[in-house]
Amino acid sequence: MTELATMDFHPRPTAGEAKPWAFPAPERATLDNGLTVLHCHRPGQRLVAVEVLLDAPLDAEPAGLDGVATIMARAFSEGTDKHSAEEFAAELERCGATLDAHADHPGVRLSLEVPVSRLSKGLGLVADALRAPAFADSEVERLVRNRLDEIPHELANPSRRAAKELSRQLFPATARMSRPRQGTAETVEAIDAAAVRAFYERHVRPATATAVVVGDLTGVDLTALLGDTLGAWTGSAAQPRPVPPVTADDTGRVVIVDRPGAVQTQLLIGRIGPDRHDRVWPAQVLGTYCLGGTLTSRLDRVLREEKGYTYGVRAFGQVLRSTPDGSGAAMLAISGSVDTPNTGPALDDLWKVLRTLAEEGLTDAERDVAVQNLVGVAPLKYETAAAVAGTLADQVEQHLPDDYQATLYQQLAATGTVEATAAVVNAFPVDRLVTVLVGDAATIKEPVEALGIGEVTVVAAE
Amino acid sequence: MPMGHTATAQAGSGGLTATEHRLANGLRVVLSEDHLTPVAAVCLWYDVGSRHEVKGRTGLAHLFEHLMFQGSAQVKGNGHFELVQGAGGSLNGTTSFERTNYFETMPAHQLELALWLEADRMGSLLAALDDESMENQRDVVKNERRQRYDNVPYGTAFEKLTALVYPEGHPYHHTPIGSMADLDAATLEDARAFFRTYYAPNNAVLSVVGDIDPEQTLAWVEKYFGSIASHDGKPAPRDGSLPDVIGEQLREVVEEEVPARALMAAYRLPQDGTRACDAADLALTVLGGGESSRLYNRLVRRDRTAVAAGFGLLRLAGAPSLGWLDVKTSGDVEVPVIEAAIDEELARFAEEGPTAEEMERAQAQLEREWLDRLGTVAGRADELCRFAVLFGDPQLALTAVQRVLEVTPEEVREIAQARLRPDNRAVLVYEPLAPEHVEDVEGTEDPESAATVEADDNEEAAK
Repeated sequence: MTELATMDFHPRPTAGEAKPWAFPAPERATLDNGLTVLHCHRPGQRLVAVEVLLDAPLDAEPAGLDGVATIMARAFSEGTDKHSAEEFAAELERCGATLDAHADHPGVRLSLEVPVSRLSKGLGLVADALRAPAFADSEVERLVRNRLDEIPHELANPSRRAAKELSRQLFPATARMSRPRQGTAETVEAIDAAAVRAFYERHVRPATATAVVVGDLTGVDLTALLGDTLGAWTGSAAQPRPVPPVTADDTGRVVIVDRPGAVQTQLLIGRIGPDRHDRVWPAQVLGTYCLGGTLTSRLDRVLREEKGYTYGVRAFGQVLRSTPDGSGAAMLAISGSVDTPNTGPALDDLWKVLRTLAEEGLTDAERDVAVQNLVGVAPLKYETAAAVAGTLADQVEQHLPDDYQATLYQQLAATGTVEATAAVVNAFPVDRLVTVLVGDAATIKEPVEALGIGEVTVVAAE
Repeated sequence: MPMGHTATAQAGSGGLTATEHRLANGLRVVLSEDHLTPVAAVCLWYDVGSRHEVKGRTGLAHLFEHLMFQGSAQVKGNGHFELVQGAGGSLNGTTSFERTNYFETMPAHQLELALWLEADRMGSLLAALDDESMENQRDVVKNERRQRYDNVPYGTAFEKLTALVYPEGHPYHHTPIGSMADLDAATLEDARAFFRTYYAPNNAVLSVVGDIDPEQTLAWVEKYFGSIASHDGKPAPRDGSLPDVIGEQLREVVEEEVPARALMAAYRLPQDGTRACDAADLALTVLGGGESSRLYNRLVRRDRTAVAAGFGLLRLAGAPSLGWLDVKTSGDVEVPVIEAAIDEELARFAEEGPTAEEMERAQAQLEREWLDRLGTVAGRADELCRFAVLFGDPQLALTAVQRVLEVTPEEVREIAQARLRPDNRAVLVYEPLAPEHVEDVEGTEDPESAATVEADDNEEAAK
């Protein structure tokens, strides 16, 4: 003791009695136009969250037009048959709403947040955008130029640059997943209003779309409201489309994206694994949390709290795309940044952590704390409407049952230490990891080569 | 102990209520019940931030915040994190100019643990603080600085603007992250002295919000915090007052390896807690908030000279607030073209003021932001502490949105005319350099985000 404390100490308190909480079960309906609707009443959440999923995946983009789904997603908020682009933005903001739209491998997603008092207005605007988007030449041209201007900003950001390189390394060049989600300068330049409209006509229709509405819906006649808004959207029936299988080359290797003078090295170490349909998923979630879920997990315990090499390193699994038959894939990765001089030592320690985990396994205590955290945080994690809507939408997008998340909590609680160990060791095998380092090649190449974690190549930052 | 305000909802509070209490040692306590979800948020604001730091020790308040997670008399090592997370809670700490906050959101039945943990470090941190923690967290914080500021394009812009708007020697001249040299210079004794000076119950506000039993909660607070001694050795912070306007246009041109030209500017605006500050918030929203704002419409939609354009407001209570303009240019557009357009828009706005529709939109946006803040128990706990620490009255948190809605268009016009003018701003221009000319690359970060103890979680179901 270096200083006497003057307070009265009491033993650490024990927990009170837990109150029951379950992940909310949504109600499902189908509108006359074929649109699937999930809704969920969350008392007190006056900011309503609406997610709309469109079956317009990136692999549906025509050859040479990577980015057309992104431009379409953005163009939804640039005018309709009722409002010009400026008017549409003004109307949205007038109801205190935010509308985000983005395109990813599984499809295009629109996310609306609006105070419940103006839900009808907000839903009306989203419905207009989906039903009758203007896609005016001049607006699309502006979005294309804007997108081109964004690309250099993304390439200059170490974590974005690392993500781009990892996709390029893992997936075959012919796979859409190997290329940037929002396109490259060459492909984006080729996009015009006609291309956007063609993509829209081919892939956007209510019959293959789902809307998720979550919030305090007291006194809201949702059926009537949806009928007047999203119900007015029409479209043809769906054409089934095959989903390409996902393959990846996870031969252990290191790629340095050279950024001369960088004071830190951005790490992104990854490979792919199964999607959530796989029985291993809960155990993998648990094991991955023990490896790198928080600052008391194995990686940060060494890299941050013992060595001070980093502000934080995380391990995670993120579904890329899923299919009803479970043949989808998830990205399994470790990411963070470490100071340049300690890049070699940090990677050495990281590999030691992985090897020790494989040799000795997780402890029961680690597993218990992980379960208590992952299951225990659920009520606070899902306090807002947006969080609930986001997970319900993920479930739909990944072809999972509506009670998936609720069941996952039960599965996590039932997963043992041995299963969690096996899952995380299989997820991160030391010789099957592709390591991308965005940093100063002149300083870090030699120490990284000395580690023997795979062949090291250097690419220019561009 | 109780100085019980009754829990009656005030007009404009959306039905939310809060009660206030004070322990004999001076700890102020704010409680707010909400039984919709079985969670409880604990938030503790210490009235100390980077403005209290002295020359040569910038970054100390934030480095110290990290040390608060390194154990105390009854909590070993990383026990604070382990126990909260093991109880199904989440936690963090952040440091800004004016305060340091610590928070835990817990399943309701684990509330007592969070109170015990916060009390243990408030009363006994120095029993555990040692050189090993100090050296380790110094390295962690230096890596935090590299990751969030030095290794990303435009990352030090906010630091540069702050240094321009608040003159040398002013308590807000430097930002919470501090300088590398000062982080290197900080000693264990500095940290001890910092704790003894600022970490006292009478320099803190504790709020507990959510599914709680107020009587039981108050009894726990008394049990765990009640015996911690108060002390009054805290020096008054240096005076942060400055003239309303800078009086001239300050300007710095940075040649760096950045992806595009950028024009940034910071304006001195009224202090937080005033009606004029709310008016300034509305003015910045009309001019540069969202995609229907005047600057966005002008620069991004019509002139097509910018890829992004917007205004942000950093509310400060102990010094002029800061209005932050950020424009990234499109293609090879030159900065003077953008600057001329902005000045034209600002001059027009100062002349005409907002239209009725613009007022409606800006107020609706700010109202939504408030709903968002108050929609979680953690957000509510933080706002209650903010108003208690900075303005002496937590109840003001519950009616803040009402005050924004009461501001008139003429007040918005007046504040724009008085403050959003060229002789009241510091301008920062970025001119890109080709990579081979640079030694160091610097990095952007939301200027309003404070330094925190932990990077974002990346957990299950994170999308």
